[in-house]
Amino acid sequence: MRRRRSLTPYVFIAPAALYLVALMAYPLAEGIRLSVTDTSLLQPRDGEYIGLDNYKTLLSDSEFLGTLWTTLVYTVGCVVGAVVAGLLAALGMNRLTGHSRALRGLVIIPWAAPIIPVALISTWMLDNQYGVVNWFLQAIGILDSNVAWLSNQSTALPAILAITIWRIFPFSAIVILAALQGVPDELYEAAKVDGTSRLNRFRHVTLPTIAPSLTILTLFITIWSLRRFDLIWVLTEGGPLGSTTTLVIDLYQSAFRLTELGLGSAIGVIGFGISTVITAVYFVVQSRGAAATRRRHAE
Amino acid sequence: MLNDTKTPVSRAPSTSAAARRRHAPLRRRLGRGLTYLVAGIAIVVLLFPVYWMIVTSLTADRDLASFPPRLLPDFSQVGVYVDTLVDTPILLWLANSAVIAIGTCICTIVLAFFAAYALSRFRFKGQGVFGFTLFATQMLPEALLVVPFYALFISLGLLNNLGGLVLAHTAFVMPVVVWLLKSAIDGIPVEVEESARIDGASPLRIVTLIVAPLVSPSIAAGAIVAFFYGWDEFLFATTFVTDEGARPASVGLASFVGEYFIPVNQVMAASVIYTLPAIVFFIALQRYVVSGLVAGSVKG
Repeated sequence: MRRRRSLTPYVFIAPAALYLVALMAYPLAEGIRLSVTDTSLLQPRDGEYIGLDNYKTLLSDSEFLGTLWTTLVYTVGCVVGAVVAGLLAALGMNRLTGHSRALRGLVIIPWAAPIIPVALISTWMLDNQYGVVNWFLQAIGILDSNVAWLSNQSTALPAILAITIWRIFPFSAIVILAALQGVPDELYEAAKVDGTSRLNRFRHVTLPTIAPSLTILTLFITIWSLRRFDLIWVLTEGGPLGSTTTLVIDLYQSAFRLTELGLGSAIGVIGFGISTVITAVYFVVQSRGAAATRRRHAE
Repeated sequence: MLNDTKTPVSRAPSTSAAARRRHAPLRRRLGRGLTYLVAGIAIVVLLFPVYWMIVTSLTADRDLASFPPRLLPDFSQVGVYVDTLVDTPILLWLANSAVIAIGTCICTIVLAFFAAYALSRFRFKGQGVFGFTLFATQMLPEALLVVPFYALFISLGLLNNLGGLVLAHTAFVMPVVVWLLKSAIDGIPVEVEESARIDGASPLRIVTLIVAPLVSPSIAAGAIVAFFYGWDEFLFATTFVTDEGARPASVGLASFVGEYFIPVNQVMAASVIYTLPAIVFFIALQRYVVSGLVAGSVKG
């Protein structure tokens, strides 16, 4: 590792850094500035400074509190669903041996498919007249009649969650599988010899080894869920009656449908703030955990 | 443990192992059957939406409105694909997507590779800030930046411009690729570069001629990540492209929602044409994709 003073690293880093300043930092600053103005999409240059009014409006608006709640449910649902599905898939894939290993390759398919076709096929599968999901659930006797999954207030969010989890769980499966392969076989053997039950082997051998991967996955999936726009937008545009309106959907509706760029930006800043807090908490917890491990090793 | 495996017992001929398996207790055999059942259901759930996309694209118009639905593809309907290519601008949209994706890929790799090299091989002032900034970009919702980008693109005349989309997409995907490449460069020994430097090679030559080939699998992974970010992206494209001729496939396909003139089988044929290359690509290059995902997420 070279420590001498040199211009070289700056030359190498300059293009990327300047790029991010121009196309990330500047737009972010601009977004924050817009959030304290009453700028309209129709007259983007005529916005006036109105202090924290946008934020006050939002926080006293019960609809916005509903949006926050929906965002929370969606995010937690995505994290739990994708981590559990990914864990089960990874445990299953880890047991595949010989020729059936090739099956592992299939898991990547939902992740590879572009979002918009996924949204289109989901809409068709969930169609309330000709949808294959309605047909199947009636054929096996779970439903009595067709359900309009995406236009029913109580089923739209669960349906979107199921679609999202289908699409993103391959990522957690792949990451967890990589972590599982890092679990030393000797530990399993030792636990087996000790007569530990399968569940206990999982709890005391597997889980601690893959725990770091699970936490970083949780962080990533949380942040992605807070950012996800396209799937929800194409499926429901936030409806019916706002039951699938997450923060970014609300942002887009406010800015580009209701033409309130200022208000929309304030929603975005709140979303950014939430992600930042979650990430900060993750790093604090992680560094504490690392310190605790170091202490345990030192003792 | 290691000694155990050398004892004659575990070297017993495979026939006796097979015999043991035949006489495995019923409970274990049931257990294995259950495992296969669960795995089978999982694979069906995993693949069904893509299968259904293909089945629907190969369904005659009159069968689309049948309930119960037709569960198998009707291969006499391949003509739907020809109709789709003729009746919808899908080829133009795919070409636009390809331009955006290739542009994003090239810009991202060039910017990210040099930055990753500097992050990996040098200690310099501002390094921590730069590393943190890269991470922080991942917390930004694209939807927040879409508003300021809109204003920026109006003043730069970049609305309805594929180049504008390349600029925006690169900003979002480049930080991820920097992390991915940095962890790859961390993994190669520095000695080769040192000796080249002693021989008088310039830093630029070292990076492009020595380091780049050594991390080419990760560059491939980064290129795939960036390409498909551009190929899939919808939010910026739908906001900044109002001109039908400049639409990428994501926006074009989404315009079919609530559209009654294009039958569902054609919508699905267009979806298949857009989706299948991505799936084939991902499976073919799985090794790179997977190592990239794992390295970029866990070590980063």
